[in-house]
Amino acid sequence: VSGFDINMYREMFAEEAEELFDTLDNVLLEAEEQGDLSDEQMIELFRAMHTLKGSGSSVELQFMTKLAHKTEDFMDKLRNHEIAYQAEMASLLIDCTDTLKELLEMEMDDSCDEDTFQSKTSHLMSQLETYLSGNAPAPAAPAEEPAAAAEPEPVAQESAAPAEEATDSSNFGLFTDDTPSDGDEGTIFGFFNDSSKAPTKVTATVADDGGAFGFFNTTPRESELKAEEVSEAPTPKPAAPAPAPAPKAAPAPAAKPVEQKAAPKPAAPAPTPAPKAAAAPAAKPTGGSAVKKPGAAGAEGGDRKAASKSAASNTIRVNLTKIDALMNNVGELVITNAMLSQFATSISDQKVQDSIMERLELLTRHIRELQESIMSIRMVPMENIYSKFPKVIRDIAKKLNKKVEFKHFGDNVEIDKAMIEGLTDPLMHIIRNSMDHGLEMPEERKESGKPETGTITIAAEQSNGQIIISIKDDGKGINIDTVVNKAITKGVITEDKLSSMTDEDKAMLIFEAGLSTAEAITDLSGRGVGMDVVKTNINKLGGVVRIDTKPTIGTTITFVLPLTLAILDGLDVAVGDTRYILPLNAIVESLQPKADMIKRIGDGGNELLMLREEFIPIVRLYKLFNEEPKYSEPTEGMLIVVKSGNHKVAMFVDEFLDQHQVVVKPLDKNFRNVQGVGAATVRGDGTIGLILDVMGLIEEQKRVEEFKRQAKSVA
Amino acid sequence: VAKILIVDDSNMLRDMLKYALVDGGYSDVTEAVDGVDALEKANASQFDLVITDINMPNMDGFELIQELRKLNNYKNSPLLVLTTERSDEMKGKGKSAGATGWIVKPFLPDQLIQAVSMVLNKK
Repeated sequence: VSGFDINMYREMFAEEAEELFDTLDNVLLEAEEQGDLSDEQMIELFRAMHTLKGSGSSVELQFMTKLAHKTEDFMDKLRNHEIAYQAEMASLLIDCTDTLKELLEMEMDDSCDEDTFQSKTSHLMSQLETYLSGNAPAPAAPAEEPAAAAEPEPVAQESAAPAEEATDSSNFGLFTDDTPSDGDEGTIFGFFNDSSKAPTKVTATVADDGGAFGFFNTTPRESELKAEEVSEAPTPKPAAPAPAPAPKAAPAPAAKPVEQKAAPKPAAPAPTPAPKAAAAPAAKPTGGSAVKKPGAAGAEGGDRKAASKSAASNTIRVNLTKIDALMNNVGELVITNAMLSQFATSISDQKVQDSIMERLELLTRHIRELQESIMSIRMVPMENIYSKFPKVIRDIAKKLNKKVEFKHFGDNVEIDKAMIEGLTDPLMHIIRNSMDHGLEMPEERKESGKPETGTITIAAEQSNGQIIISIKDDGKGINIDTVVNKAITKGVITEDKLSSMTDEDKAMLIFEAGLSTAEAITDLSGRGVGMDVVKTNINKLGGVVRIDTKPTIGTTITFVLPLTLAILDGLDVAVGDTRYILPLNAIVESLQPKADMIKRIGDGGNELLMLREEFIPIVRLYKLFNEEPKYSEPTEGMLIVVKSGNHKVAMFVDEFLDQHQVVVKPLDKNFRNVQGVGAATVRGDGTIGLILDVMGLIEEQKRVEEFKRQAKSVA
Repeated sequence: VAKILIVDDSNMLRDMLKYALVDGGYSDVTEAVDGVDALEKANASQFDLVITDINMPNMDGFELIQELRKLNNYKNSPLLVLTTERSDEMKGKGKSAGATGWIVKPFLPDQLIQAVSMVLNKK
């Protein structure tokens, strides 16, 4: 039959699971805070866990499903008040959720086995079990309800019921009525038979081991069930009504208790309450056709509603790769448009040229609008990021014994989806760091007249085509002297350099490699990620990091990020015969220096531009890129001062040309990483343009300086 | 071809269901994300079969079935519930809501198709 591509569904599931985990986390966190769980919350928990289990088993994630199942049982009992909620349950359930995430991740890359599962879950399972058995009388308890719900039906007439049949391993069959229990592990399908119609066709079912399907018969008269008549015979025909008049609903083949109860009272409760386990293995997709999902599926499929009450939500879900592809197409369009424009300038008939140019301009405008529309599709609200934090903050606060309140602003500020991934880790790290090093212990806070509970505030805003995200704590601030001392001992900066540094520059030293304080390597801020990685990651997103710290008042760390990674405004600069592109947002100013503004230090190898009391290292681009320059003296060419973070350098180029929008094509995907070159683009004339990576160039320049210094000291 | 309405709040499960149905020859499949959505769609056009999840926001599967049974157009239509369990509780609820039958998930595509063809032929 069909070949499900299970991996595709697994990915879809993983996406959905993330939302479900968020729901679970948020509800549980609230519960933990309130020390209580409302009925509504219980239902929400149960629903999320139930979906996790159901969907998880459908994509054959057996381990995750197993734990989800147990947790769901527990939540079910909570929901039905068979177990009374106790405050400490929140923590257990949070642990369960965490472990579920872990299991999911492991199973997604097939790195989970029975032993791992046991070691990760045995303690959780046993705790759940304790609650389950301790507070709930017996697993069989719920069995009464079904009895009540089912109409009392006379066990009757077999004549009416042609047995429909069990297929091969009888994964499927029909129940007459209330067959109380199909054989536990059995049936996967059943009818609730509505007597009003079709009285005659009731069916019997199979129920042996694997039935996935069955009917319920509500009809009083039609159903009947005889326990002895086990239709376990594997009749080969699938759904064909069996000609035999008599066979009727057969409960589980061998279940004795069923027999007894079933006969007098069809609605009798199943003796075996939990037959579900068997279902999971049955889910293996059969057949092997490697077909991916048909085009039809998903075409109209994406309706998904936010938590809103209204059903008809007007949104669809689209895979990000589709949007990327669209964006890419527009990128090509931009390039083609540039080519056309360039070609148009070569048309000799001025009149023709003018009117073509005029229309091309219109085209350019439309393309830009198209670009903007696509960009807006890629944008997601910051709340997607924020939602992950309360849980992390709670965990850390617990570990550190600190009290923390998390505030967030700008939930609706939109950000490029592609940026979220790169942004989450740095934010997480800053938060960890603030909580670990910034916020004081409650007693300490009290003594210094602050509220015991510290506050971490994240705010996002959009301005001037940039996203500004700030993370603020009301802790003790960064001790700049400690940082500076450390920086000097570690050789990150020299004493003489210190004099020209502002307080912000000094505080920024915490983002230098090798400067993390000893405690920072605890398991908390740990994970082997230092603050330097935060800066690098933000720089990679084309953003910069700023810091503002005040003793006893707190620290604010700000990320300034471009709205998108896909397009940037660039300035063409000429170095020899080559033109490079400098990102416009990195440029501070440009000038043609006078001779007295250029200072040489040391043996003259290092040049500095003295600009309004500030010394800025000069980078001769032609040297870095091995070009033959038009000019070899800065006074003849141009200096472009660029900035990345707190570092400025002056790029020496022959001249600068025009400024335009370029479509960023990553270099590492198409070629390989090159120090100093961040990405590439295709120009209007079809040639490749290299986009300079200002940060990388500054690093490169520092590396060269360092190399020279060492070489000198060796000499 | 029979018109089938599938109702589930999980994208993935809807996709899987639809895939299995289309693959099994039931190409006329409409999706709904919950009971409210389904009811709207069921009102707008007549389906030969409705397969619904039980646990959904806004309106769950049992409620949906109760509501559908109130409509003349669905008085006798086959309505299947998708469930993760086989418990008597589920069955009791399903029956009293007026459901025709149930399918346990996870399901094999073949099983689903068999079940579907059976309820459709039964009519």
